[in-house]
Amino acid sequence: MSTVAQDGGLHARDVHVAFGGLKALKGVDLKLKRGEVLGLIGPNGAGKTTMVNVLTGFQAATSGDVTLDGRSLSGLGPRNVARAGVARSFQAARLFRDLTVRQNLEVAGIGSGKKRKEARGLADALLDWIGCGNKSDLLAGSLPYGDERRIGIARALALSPKYVLLDEPASGMNDQECDALMRLIAEIPDRFDCGVLLIEHNMQVVMGACRRVHVLDNGKSLAEGTPAEMRANAEVRRAYLGTKSDRGQLI
Amino acid sequence: MMALRLLKQAWPILGLLLPLALIVFLADQFGSISVERSVTEGLIKIVTVVGLYIFIGNSGVVSFGHVAFMAIAAYATAWQTCCSALKPITMSGLPDFLRSHTYPVLPAGISAATLAAAAAFIVGLVLMRLSGIAASISTLAALFILNVVYSNWDKVTMGTASIVGLPTYVTPWVAFACAGLAMVIAYLFQISSWGLTLRATREDEVAARASGISVYWMRLAAFTLSGFVMGMAGVLHAHFLGTISVDTFFLGLTFITLTMLVVGGMKSLSGAVLGVVVISFVTDILRRMEAGMSFGGGEVALPAGSQEVVLAVVMLLVLIFRRDGLTKGREFIWPSLSRQTGSGDVT
Amino acid sequence: MLNFIQVLIDAAALGSLYALVALAIGLVFGIMRLINFAQGDYLTIGAYSLVVPTASVTPPLLFGALPWPLMVAAVLATCMIAALLTERIAFRPLRNANPATLLISSFAVSYFLQHALMLVHTGRPKSVAIGASLAQAIDIFGVRIPGLQLVTMITTVTLLIAFVILLKKTAIGIQMRAAAENFQMARLLGVKANKVIAFGFALSGFLAGTVSLLLVAQTGTLDIRMGIMPVIYAFFATVIGGMGSLAGAALGGFLVGVTSVLLQAYLPPDLRPFRDAGVFALVILILLAYPKGLIPSSASRERV
Repeated sequence: MSTVAQDGGLHARDVHVAFGGLKALKGVDLKLKRGEVLGLIGPNGAGKTTMVNVLTGFQAATSGDVTLDGRSLSGLGPRNVARAGVARSFQAARLFRDLTVRQNLEVAGIGSGKKRKEARGLADALLDWIGCGNKSDLLAGSLPYGDERRIGIARALALSPKYVLLDEPASGMNDQECDALMRLIAEIPDRFDCGVLLIEHNMQVVMGACRRVHVLDNGKSLAEGTPAEMRANAEVRRAYLGTKSDRGQLI
Repeated sequence: MMALRLLKQAWPILGLLLPLALIVFLADQFGSISVERSVTEGLIKIVTVVGLYIFIGNSGVVSFGHVAFMAIAAYATAWQTCCSALKPITMSGLPDFLRSHTYPVLPAGISAATLAAAAAFIVGLVLMRLSGIAASISTLAALFILNVVYSNWDKVTMGTASIVGLPTYVTPWVAFACAGLAMVIAYLFQISSWGLTLRATREDEVAARASGISVYWMRLAAFTLSGFVMGMAGVLHAHFLGTISVDTFFLGLTFITLTMLVVGGMKSLSGAVLGVVVISFVTDILRRMEAGMSFGGGEVALPAGSQEVVLAVVMLLVLIFRRDGLTKGREFIWPSLSRQTGSGDVT
Repeated sequence: MLNFIQVLIDAAALGSLYALVALAIGLVFGIMRLINFAQGDYLTIGAYSLVVPTASVTPPLLFGALPWPLMVAAVLATCMIAALLTERIAFRPLRNANPATLLISSFAVSYFLQHALMLVHTGRPKSVAIGASLAQAIDIFGVRIPGLQLVTMITTVTLLIAFVILLKKTAIGIQMRAAAENFQMARLLGVKANKVIAFGFALSGFLAGTVSLLLVAQTGTLDIRMGIMPVIYAFFATVIGGMGSLAGAALGGFLVGVTSVLLQAYLPPDLRPFRDAGVFALVILILLAYPKGLIPSSASRERV
């Protein structure tokens, strides 16, 4: 296990992304450190998912750079970024429906270079941790929504990544599930020695799980600080005004 | 209990091999020549469809061109084993080591299948770079290219004329051994890490990449392996009929083998085998009906060419109403494990 | 020099035909993610509707006997009906299937149509003479252009322009493009899926009918397999041009047709049979360089 102090972190510098005329990201600086949970919030259309896509190699930045511990990730496709140590979960879970739950995680383990047996062992351990140990032989496509989300997170962790990016894992969950999720996420940095970037709309989860929060609005960084600081920040509040009321809204 | 565990692991394969062995045994002991021939044909089709399955079933990418690899192997084995007297005249374009020599059938068969695998590897290097649909259509193009080239390369393939006089050594048991080998290869592949990760790319390509999988190399591996098995099928075909021609390995064969795979269930090995059995049965009946059957007082015959029409309808019905085929994409599982076990293997 | 111009004209004419077929393929792909192998068979059905179903190789004319405006209308109608029927019966139930299933089903539909036609007409090629008056060559700037090539090129250009207008200016055209970009969203916004898709298929039938008339006038023969090659070429055209991009499909079709004729004219005689192989190989090379096609559209990108 490497010492946190040596890590350069997952760093996005001055990232611009433009789709034709539409500018999705206009110069965003983001730094994710190992051992912490950083929340990424912002109103709809702020560019959060685009940011995740850039960090994980699914979207090429029009300009700007992404580095992992000093090494540039630009131009690496999603597969190589994953192998370098940056994992992600998806808004739509995207599980391998016709494979078992255990196999879903095994695949990620194998993808990160582990031997089959090791991958399987890690899969079982992760499934126990998220509380789906008794479902490991079920087909992933047959599971309820809440389970799908958690398994998606577990699958990302099966890569033994240095950084894991979670894309709205709490959407569609009720209060109880959110609570449980929040506690799981908060455990990740210490338990798995990795940094977490959490994109969420659900403020309850963000406040509970994140040590720091980065706010995006309209493709630009608006502010960064502790959850309490963000709650008090006038600009941040203004960015959220007029949006539909979420459970656990800032105001 | 070790033995029981192994048995459970191997059950999907054994559950297919044992009944087949029984059929072959019965046909061999009690069946007429025509029954033996039907069984052998069916077994060769099994090798073919299993070959298709190794690639299509695991990767989810349709290949319309796979029978091209059968053709490559069939001609390769013909060049090595046939027509020692006529070869220098009819196939004068062959290199000397083929034109003036004849080789024993086993090495010829193995080298032919290996050649098919090599061709699959080279074609795959190019084609697997393309997206699913583009790759599928390109495989069709590859088949057309092969057909055009082999049909016109008179000095080497005798063009559109048939090559006759190949040694015919394929008995039902030989075919069974090869079918068994093909199925074992397919099964070992699908329970291996490569098979598993390839299936993941079939389910969700995006998530598979995000999980560190190389879609390109996994597909290429399956494509090459399936090319080898198609090669085996081509060799068997050549040495069963004793004659080969380019047009055998074209759209008709492509269609019927795809139908077999789809009807049985694209996603499972059992599906591939079951599909062959079911469709062979159906086409046999249709063939007889086209030839004419006596009903009551008179004779009733289906017009020639109805076979293909009926098959197409069957294929469409299965696709519409039971998309994953008769086996729904599952393998035959040890009864106690029948609850929701995942694809590919028995855990 | 004159010969070269002749070759160019032939190339342009064939390129136009392939552009039309590619356009139809691209259109249906755009709205349904379906590569319609049966497109070639709509063409064949239209061609065979010119004659009475018999086993004869010189069959009496059916629609072919009508005065030309009626004949054209009848053939176009036949193709459109064929297209609509296959959509309703075979493709609608499969609308949400994965690409592999769609591809195989379209292969099955095509196979069915071909063999159904064979049952009715038998498989032997037949000869048919229509549009004899077009065989006359017209003098333009000292170049003799066969009337048929001229009609082909004019028809193609007119149809392409009409298409652009249709897609950009009419309500149904805009709906089709919206559906092509993002099907779910379009439905949510009220675009009636059935209407749009049916319209798309009807258009593809219309295009098939046009091409079949021009092709039969050109070659004078009917063959069960006559639709296969244009459609294979058209697929590649669509893929090279960029799937989901109509401009790309038309461009791709044109390029493929031109290449085919040029190869036929300028390859040394003993290489000529390999012309088709050459075109395919070229296509594969282009795809390697431009995996998303020459004019990729956003429809080809998957949302992550």
